[in-house]
Amino acid sequence: MGNKDTRQFVIIGAGPAGLTAAYELLKYEVGATVLEQYDKVGGLARTENYRGYHFDMGGHRFFTKSEPVNQMWHEVLGDDFLRRPRLSRIFYQDKFFFYPLKTLNALSGLGVWQAVLIILSFIRWQIFPYKKEETFEQWVTNRFGKRLFEIFFKTYTEKVWGIPCSELKAEWAAQRIKNLSLKTALLSTIVKPGNSITTLIEEFHYPRYGPGMLWGEVKNQIEKREGKVLLNSPVTRIHRTGNRIDSVVISQNGSSEQTITGTHFISSMPISEFVKKLDYVPADVLEAAQKLRYRDFLTVCLIVNKMELFPDNWIYIHSPEVHVGRIQNFKNWSPEMVPDSSKTSLGMEYFCTEGDELWNMPDHDLIELGKRELGRIGLAKAGDVVDGCVFRVSKAYPIYDAEYAGYLKTIRDFVDGLENLQTVGRNGLHRYNNQDHSMITGTLAVRNLMFGEKNDLWSVNVDSEYHEEIQHQGKEKPADTLKEKITHSFPRLDPVALGFSLGATAGLLIFAATLLLVMHGGVTIGPHLALLSNFVPGFTVTLGGSVVGMLGLFVLGFFFGSIFAYLRNLAVFIGARVLHRDIELYHLRRLFDFI
Amino acid sequence: MQEDNTAIERFVLIELMRLNGVILGLVLGSLFGCGIFIATIILLVKGGDVVGPHLALLGQFFIGYRVTFAGSIIGFLYGMGLGFVVGYMIAGLYNWMANFREKRSLRNK
Repeated sequence: MGNKDTRQFVIIGAGPAGLTAAYELLKYEVGATVLEQYDKVGGLARTENYRGYHFDMGGHRFFTKSEPVNQMWHEVLGDDFLRRPRLSRIFYQDKFFFYPLKTLNALSGLGVWQAVLIILSFIRWQIFPYKKEETFEQWVTNRFGKRLFEIFFKTYTEKVWGIPCSELKAEWAAQRIKNLSLKTALLSTIVKPGNSITTLIEEFHYPRYGPGMLWGEVKNQIEKREGKVLLNSPVTRIHRTGNRIDSVVISQNGSSEQTITGTHFISSMPISEFVKKLDYVPADVLEAAQKLRYRDFLTVCLIVNKMELFPDNWIYIHSPEVHVGRIQNFKNWSPEMVPDSSKTSLGMEYFCTEGDELWNMPDHDLIELGKRELGRIGLAKAGDVVDGCVFRVSKAYPIYDAEYAGYLKTIRDFVDGLENLQTVGRNGLHRYNNQDHSMITGTLAVRNLMFGEKNDLWSVNVDSEYHEEIQHQGKEKPADTLKEKITHSFPRLDPVALGFSLGATAGLLIFAATLLLVMHGGVTIGPHLALLSNFVPGFTVTLGGSVVGMLGLFVLGFFFGSIFAYLRNLAVFIGARVLHRDIELYHLRRLFDFI
Repeated sequence: MQEDNTAIERFVLIELMRLNGVILGLVLGSLFGCGIFIATIILLVKGGDVVGPHLALLGQFFIGYRVTFAGSIIGFLYGMGLGFVVGYMIAGLYNWMANFREKRSLRNK
């Protein structure tokens, strides 16, 4: 009979990362106390409820390339994990456009003159691109041209982020579209030909009553076994001694305080908030924490007295005349999100910043705004809306502005020194990742703390090919395996080496052939081989001629071998570039999937 | 560990290729052997007063080769053998030179 594990895990945040960490701990029969500030679990992936209507905050498609994550979802949900068709469109200039963008549909929808200008702009930016791609604007312009960027990317992206695209770092787009890296793009076509790169295109899985159903069930399983999940328990203070966290203080139901001690801590709360609540933080770290920025959003949930409104799961609203950024049709996510089948529930998502005009607007005014804008877009009449409510989601998206990387590094360097702490999840890492990515960070955090593994949560990648390597207890470094695979797929032919080998071989062959004929003798020796003198001046079918032939063929062989290698390398480079560009455009047409 | 995606050159065409001598030998041998076999058969089928006077010159190097059906088999075998040797030699010389140049370039860094 073994000794009971005396480690006590405290997990801050009951979102996907925190709950997955607690779920992972169940495997090792180690209990955890999970602390959640809200009245329900799910974090940024929570599902709100109003009069029996379920509202998914943000819309969360369940798709992953990670097999362990997929297994967990199926394990927890069983038959309540539905397969749903996906349809979404873009609304702009009073028209709907296919999403992902289709070239002909986009151009024909915008009109002939606009289409011509877009094509000319595209060509111009292909020939004279921005030399450095530091901002999102530069990054997209180099790939789509300025005009298309301004039409399809600028307005929506600035609605989401509230800052000009010229201030949004290019890194954000590249990180969101993880598979845009040439390594992964090439690997997926070469190592596993025929496999498509990450796709969220045609269908996805979804819990019957929204993501909250999954996380609620995970909470139940945690509580049935060694764990506790405390709701309405925001962390107000974090105590440490030296490089170890000792305890956290929570405020329960807004009144009393309680101290929760632990041996190991996992935090998914925004890292800036974590630092502000921690004891004895250096001034520069605190200052960096103040400078990290977030984007928030609120959802105006409308119940519409119509059985069906539109077939989309959601619609991106690019039109600058309305504030709403995205409209969710929850009935199309799962019919059971709506208790009354004669009605439809919509989520009008407004991107804003905590404390700004939209955020502070009274709920009643927001509902009226939502109704007006719904009518303006033409999806429903304001008079058909029978009820509504508002939910606010704070710190939904970390902002990658011009300076964030420096501030985050300062914070990270400090936090990494706390030996019994792991930060996880989107806000714990200030990294705009998806639900499955957050779950993986939760799992790896547990392994780091339980077994001393050195998984780097800051650069976890959900691509399953590489995740398998991460799972091998950190023994293989994904980056090295990638490099090995890619360099075996696209190595370089050395022109000098190939020229030398072909020249030497050809020279030796001619030398041997000439000598053979000379030894053979005869009245006329090698009359046909002698024709080689047309190409190798001075060649004769004699002993001396064999040496001349050898040297001559060496030069010719070297020349052809070098040219062959050079051209082959050039073709590979062009092919790789074309492939890279194709993959980039493939993903760029789906960029809004990742916002 | 953050991937650096700024330049394609960083990921493609970095490492020098190495050639596999056996594979290259087999490929070239197959090409040469089949080439001689098919060329001989084509000339035989074409027929004429004198069949393949120029191809017959290969008999000076490939003892026993003639522009006949049996000769096509002999030519195939010689072609396989010679092609294998040529391919193996090209690969061996290429790898030797590539190693030499790589070591020199590492020494100079």
